[in-house]
Amino acid sequence: MRLTCPLCGERDLREFSYTGDAVLCERPAPEAGPEAWDAYLHLRENPAGVARDLWHHGAGCSAWLVVTRDTVTHAVIAVALADAP
Amino acid sequence: MGYNALRLLKEGLTGNKGWQPVWRDPAPKDAYDIVIIGGGGHGLATAYYLAREHGLRNVAVLEKGYLGGGNVGRNTTIVRANYAMPGNSEFYSHSLKLWEGLERELNYNVMHSQRGLIDLFHSDDQRDAYVRGGNAMINQGDDAVLLDRDEVRDRLPYLDFDNARFPIHGALLHPRGGTARHDAVAWGYARAADRRGVDLIQQCEVTGIDVEGGKVQGVTTTRGVIRARKVAIVTAGRSGQVAAMAGLRLPVESHVLQAFVTEGLKPIIDHVVIFGMGHFYISQSDKGGLVFGGDLDGYASYAQRGNLPTAEHVMEAAMALMPVVGQARVLRSWGGIMDMTPDGSPIIDRTGIEGLYLDCGWCYGGFKATPASGFALAHLLATDRPHDTAARFRLDRFRDGVGLMDEEGTGAQHKLH
Amino acid sequence: MVRLVARTAAGGALPQTIGGLTLAEHLPEAITAVMPFDGQEGAVSDDMGMPFPAPGRTSEADGALAIWAGRHLALVLGAPPRSSHGAISDQSDAWAVFDLTGPGGAEALARLCPVDTRAAQFPPGHTARSLLGHVHASITRLKDDRLRIMVPRSMAHTAIHDLTRAMGHALRSQSAG
Ligand SMILES: Cc1cc2nc3c(=O)[nH]c(=O)nc-3n(C[C@H](O)[C@H](O)[C@H](O)COP(=O)(O)OP(=O)(O)OC[C@H]3O[C@@H](n4cnc5c(N)ncnc54)[C@H](O)[C@@H]3O)c2cc1C
Ligand SMILES: [Zn+2]
Repeated sequence: MRLTCPLCGERDLREFSYTGDAVLCERPAPEAGPEAWDAYLHLRENPAGVARDLWHHGAGCSAWLVVTRDTVTHAVIAVALADAP
Repeated sequence: MGYNALRLLKEGLTGNKGWQPVWRDPAPKDAYDIVIIGGGGHGLATAYYLAREHGLRNVAVLEKGYLGGGNVGRNTTIVRANYAMPGNSEFYSHSLKLWEGLERELNYNVMHSQRGLIDLFHSDDQRDAYVRGGNAMINQGDDAVLLDRDEVRDRLPYLDFDNARFPIHGALLHPRGGTARHDAVAWGYARAADRRGVDLIQQCEVTGIDVEGGKVQGVTTTRGVIRARKVAIVTAGRSGQVAAMAGLRLPVESHVLQAFVTEGLKPIIDHVVIFGMGHFYISQSDKGGLVFGGDLDGYASYAQRGNLPTAEHVMEAAMALMPVVGQARVLRSWGGIMDMTPDGSPIIDRTGIEGLYLDCGWCYGGFKATPASGFALAHLLATDRPHDTAARFRLDRFRDGVGLMDEEGTGAQHKLH
Repeated sequence: MVRLVARTAAGGALPQTIGGLTLAEHLPEAITAVMPFDGQEGAVSDDMGMPFPAPGRTSEADGALAIWAGRHLALVLGAPPRSSHGAISDQSDAWAVFDLTGPGGAEALARLCPVDTRAAQFPPGHTARSLLGHVHASITRLKDDRLRIMVPRSMAHTAIHDLTRAMGHALRSQSAG
């Protein structure tokens, strides 16, 4: 599996670290209540197939990336900066 | 059918034509009292204990592939009871006791070998943590022995004791820890459950869970609809997928864990050796292969294979710990899908749907749990009350934050455990 | 008052020549991190007297070299720039800077770094943040036969060890091939 960082280009997997499902980009409001926070922190769609997840290019440009990939085949479909509009 | 030397010799000389299948291959019935989804170690153990402990025999285990084709046949076979948190501690202690009687109980050689598990530490602080962990094990009624550096050297002379980064200061020995033959455990439980009347149905994938008015009605499978009063999801890495059939979202993320085995060698490693700081562990199988592994690859995956950076990390850790291993040739590597939870501990519980039960979240430690998980889930299915040893494995502990069992204190990220 | 003696990151371990390759320590006048505030890259470029480098590129003016070093980050080697449109910090003592000079530098680096640094795809003016073994590094091609490698100063001797070993291996495989 190699990821194409929008800034650095195609890079080896060892330069990146995975954090979790990209729902992590949608933090609920502090007072949103336990259901919302449970969903955000713990509950996962956990798809077998196309998934969107959050990666950090720690040994590269330090950008946070949203990677769209297939969890069954490890095919990488798209990589975008996490704060891209 | 008995297995003995004479029989083996006779069959060997006559083309092995006399062996009979040891469990039936029944067609699914229209309805059962209890349907268990997943014919891995936990599903088969659950079926066995339902029949044996509770006299419930109108039970089917539905397996999409073949019995033992999942993680139960892919793991690195370590069996131990060295947990420190309330909840895990009593559960794994119970499991080890069940292991110790398992071969006699099933009349099946699962090659359970209590060769001792040696967990290395490399600093004074780590020693303190291990002393605390050892005391927790002793308080639980299990065994733990603190080894100093020389005592480790007596047992494991081939380690690099003076590694600049991780010099070996000592270890915690868990004498009753060890290994077992993984697929023999599945076969042993399968044979015993079949003999008590449980239907083991292979090549039968569950594709839907039928729920009406908040109550489970049965399952839809590739071999037709099967009605059931109670349904248990025991599908390890696939738990999220199967639970989604009933509209549930679980606190589970599936990750790949790799393992490796070398060509067969003469006996060199008599124990299970854990090098936690290098995310590395190793033992030697009875066939002589060195069986070893490391940490998760670290990203969500359903591919039963991993990537090279993790393989490289594991090999580097091996070389750092025991340079002699560089002489061995790796024969195979593989991966399995781990159902990771946010605190690294499992779930055995009811769900919001009446009659639907869940046994999942075993992360990479569920092989040792096989007997106690089956025992506790059978108890829950039969009585609708959690068994004492598994009462803390609640599904809703993440939502209310009460009773989390994060052994390593790494926080609420699935991949960190 | 105690008089402290300044020691460089390599502390006398360099230069080393192995085959046709030389690894030498480079000592810029200063190393300055420049991080433009949101939308201020243009203003920072004006203050620096050269364009803020694009991702994976360098820019140069008056003997100062600006190396792109990550998202919204450049390291300026040379006279420290001034600007009120970005966060500027002196990192002179935070980095060890090496120049690897001679033919086959990329082949030696290939043993440590997962990025292809051969001149055909990594010509002069290109730079990459990547790994040197286990160490985070900045790698820049200055000339056809010169690569500049920067690692955190605390990793200087690890990097020297790894690089000289890689140079030796590259030499051996060259003579074998
Ligand atoms: C490389 C590796 C090393 C490990 N090492 C250890 C170790 O040393 N010690 C330890 O204690 N644990 C270890 N584990 C973890 C342990 O193997 C698992 O936690 C445990 O086996 C999971 O329970 P199981 O045996 O029931 O799972 P499985 O054997 O995976 O059983 C689940 C079954 O469900 C079936 N299934 C899935 N979906 C469906 C469906 N829709 N319909 C019907 N059937 C379905 C699957 O085909 C599978 O057979 C390791 C795991 C791996 C991969
Ligand atoms: Zn990048």
